[in-house]
Amino acid sequence: MVAAIPKVLDPPSFAHMVYNYRLAPGGLVNALGLALPWVELFAGAALILGVWKREAAILIGIMLLVFIVAIGVNLARGHAVDCGCFNVTSVGKSREELLADMRGVLIRDVGLLLLVAHVLAATRPPKWNRPLS
Amino acid sequence: MIRGSTVARVIALIVLGAGAAAISNLTASTERKLAWIGSYPRALEIGAPEGTPPAATPTVAPASPAPATPVPAPGGAPEMDVSKTFPPHPDKASVEIEPADVELLYGRRTLFLDARRSSVYAEGHIAGARTFPVWESDIDARVKSLYEEGLDQQAPIVVYCSGGDCEDSHMLAEKLYMVGFDNILIYKDGFPDWQKRGLPVNRGANP
Repeated sequence: MVAAIPKVLDPPSFAHMVYNYRLAPGGLVNALGLALPWVELFAGAALILGVWKREAAILIGIMLLVFIVAIGVNLARGHAVDCGCFNVTSVGKSREELLADMRGVLIRDVGLLLLVAHVLAATRPPKWNRPLS
Repeated sequence: MIRGSTVARVIALIVLGAGAAAISNLTASTERKLAWIGSYPRALEIGAPEGTPPAATPTVAPASPAPATPVPAPGGAPEMDVSKTFPPHPDKASVEIEPADVELLYGRRTLFLDARRSSVYAEGHIAGARTFPVWESDIDARVKSLYEEGLDQQAPIVVYCSGGDCEDSHMLAEKLYMVGFDNILIYKDGFPDWQKRGLPVNRGANP
């Protein structure tokens, strides 16, 4: 939720950050810049309030995977980007600083993904209530 | 296996988010509004836009010795035919120029356009530069309005943003080129360089 608020307040800046990743087709950049923060906000609120916890965790997990892939791809190709995670204002860091930040973000997101896995394990429906697969 | 109801709830959260985004965007001010469908032809490309030479390669004939002194007072600049030193380039959207050329053009009262967000512009911009924030919803209307002013489309226009990796000026150059402006010059080092050189800066929403 903390990450979503600055993006909700300034969609053009967040769309700019999405654009900087150079992974989303041009036609989708604005839509992602507009919708993603709100989805993040609702998923975070649901998790905190304990409403649809499992579903919120799944959604957050999917978003984290997307962020990990986006950061990872750009790290692999040496394209330094401001992650736009908790702030949508570029602070004019050097390429090396940005790449170091990206490595840190990657580790943090993997950690958050482990927390999501923990929520999913804790909210797993009991065996007798699971559908036959 | 994920249950159908779980999938339905995940979709419901996405739809809720998209709906809230739509309402928020509808009620947003011009600076915060975005068109849902973006138009960024180079969204998947990395590096300098095609047709723009690298910043280190001067492509414009050097405009007399680089002025190391502050910008000459209007009318006090040495006589020079700007159109010959900075000829139009109808084959490409923009050409990057060096800070010395920027100062020279500033002294010749060339039109300067600031491609950064309007809030950033208000915090400080090149004195006299007009705000053309490429990431705000009214940018196409601003470009159209500039076109309708009936300016000489072969005359140089200097566009800048925040320097470094900032590509807002290139994006604005593309938009201006699409409506027929053939002489867009990019101040690659942008506003941070201008400030560093101690050149005239204004604050607020007006040029």
